[in-house]
Amino acid sequence: MSSRSAWRALHYSAKRRAFQSPAPYRCFSCARRAQEQPKSEHERMTHFGFSNVPESEKESRVGAVFSSVAASYDRMNDLMSLGVHRLWKDHFVRSLNPGSALPARDCDTPNQQGGGWTILDIAGGTGDIAFRMLDHATNINHDLETRVTISDINGDMLAEGRKRSLDTPYYNTRRLSFVEANAEHMPHIASESVDLYTVVFGIRNFTDKQAALNEAFRVLKPGGVFACMEFSKVDNPLFDAVYKRWNFSAIPLIGQVVAGDRDSYQYLVESIERFPSQEEFRDMIQTAGFMIPGRGFENLTGGIAAIHKGIKPIVKA
Amino acid sequence: MAHLAHLRPLSRRAIAHLGSSANIIHRNAFLAGPSALLSSASSAPTSPSSPLPAIRATTTKTPSNNFRAYHSTLHPHPQPTHEYTNSQTAILSAALAHIPTHGFSAAALTLGARDAGFLDVSVQLLPRAEFDLVLFWLASRRGLLRAKVEEGGLFARIAAERGPEGKGLGLSVEEKVKVLVLERLGLNVDVKDQWQDALAQMSLLGNIPLSLAELHALADDILSLAGDASVDTAWYSRRLAVAAIYASAEVVMTRDHTPDLAETAAFVERRFEDRDALTQKLTGLGQFVGFWGNTAVGLGRSWGLKI
Repeated sequence: MSSRSAWRALHYSAKRRAFQSPAPYRCFSCARRAQEQPKSEHERMTHFGFSNVPESEKESRVGAVFSSVAASYDRMNDLMSLGVHRLWKDHFVRSLNPGSALPARDCDTPNQQGGGWTILDIAGGTGDIAFRMLDHATNINHDLETRVTISDINGDMLAEGRKRSLDTPYYNTRRLSFVEANAEHMPHIASESVDLYTVVFGIRNFTDKQAALNEAFRVLKPGGVFACMEFSKVDNPLFDAVYKRWNFSAIPLIGQVVAGDRDSYQYLVESIERFPSQEEFRDMIQTAGFMIPGRGFENLTGGIAAIHKGIKPIVKA
Repeated sequence: MAHLAHLRPLSRRAIAHLGSSANIIHRNAFLAGPSALLSSASSAPTSPSSPLPAIRATTTKTPSNNFRAYHSTLHPHPQPTHEYTNSQTAILSAALAHIPTHGFSAAALTLGARDAGFLDVSVQLLPRAEFDLVLFWLASRRGLLRAKVEEGGLFARIAAERGPEGKGLGLSVEEKVKVLVLERLGLNVDVKDQWQDALAQMSLLGNIPLSLAELHALADDILSLAGDASVDTAWYSRRLAVAAIYASAEVVMTRDHTPDLAETAAFVERRFEDRDALTQKLTGLGQFVGFWGNTAVGLGRSWGLKI
């Protein structure tokens, strides 16, 4: 009995002894951002990593992040994911199987098939997904018609993609084009004109995700597919703990050492943490009007990333 | 009590009527899906507004099932295609027509999607891709088999073919099982050359549980349609035996080039004989062990052992 009370007293005093810093709490990585308080109260707020910023500001902030990482994008991805991101992207493209392996038939409506797929790759600045899809269509399905439009809000990322496209056979052909646009509002793309809409590791950074989903629904043909690969929630708590430790400790450090930019990578891991779970995001896709095949998502590497798909329904006349 | 006795026959008839009409409506709802494949769908049953013909129609259709099922006939069975949405069913049923030429492949699915008015990319609706096509094929053939028995009068036709002496007796359960297994194999004739692909798909590690579930569903359907009423361990052993015979006959059929599957039919015949022989041997063995066991116990007791 006495030993227990002694233990409790010890515990109590241990708590009391906690050092109270006179200065306000300063996180090592987000101190600068925490000091920049938003100016106007009445403006709508959105999150930028763990901090809140006015909606009008998020776009330029994300822009700054990606402008600064554009050059070292691939090297950093390799280091942060230990190369696994290439496997994910390959799997993503293989599961979509872009390109028409079968020739168009007379009974098919001409605007539907005949001449490959029209693919819109949103936030695909560096062309990672676009080149893979074109390669798959050409080499696996022998489809020389399928074309990809790479759309990105960030000119620096697009410039990186243009530079890389020089090494591909698609440079300066009608199969590959670049557009600088905001995915939430794309008036230059006609309604019902796209077969496949992909956004890979990009939708996390959008200011208004639902608006982007609605816009995707508008540009897709009936029967067209919305496919998205994005970081998601790990389902195994033990693995989650290890993963979080890696995310918040290792990645900003790698960013600092390799790319000389800690803040951008701190934003990256915070935005991963803030992104909705698999089920929430699936419901958002459903809200936009898409049909969901099966469970609606496929977890990769225990849920670190997830592939979401939605199909635009055909309205029977 | 008298009150109850008065009510009873009335309510039973009312239930029988309700059950039969609900069954019919439901069955039609299922047939409406892959209706292009069902020739028997046109033989629509009588409208539920005239109660007596409806009762008569079902009683003549299933003469063997005079015992009543334990599950409620007012509630529909889960149908084979219940897990697919309308769009998925549209693509899959259009794809079935392309299986004989393109096999259980992505090409058949793509062509099916085009036929149903979808795009090439819309096959993403089916997360299991080719295996979904295999499953849909199995489930729809199972539905067809059920329709053949319940609406096509399969047993009555076969009994009539056997001539006047077989007409009055009807078929035994064993004969019906055999007929149903052969009938089900006959539904695979069009895709016989593609069936090895389907078997390969089904044998993939991730697909095995669903394939076995479908095989069990088929064995269960065959036995319940044949009117099997076993309630002891025979319930398991019979389903196991039918499933094993059917699955092995499927493999034999992929290499059977004889007209109207004579080789496969002979194989099935032999397997049923084997099963009967095995049953006999097991029964004999049981009798043998029982006899010597009893003898040993009796001998022990006569020697004064306290057994």
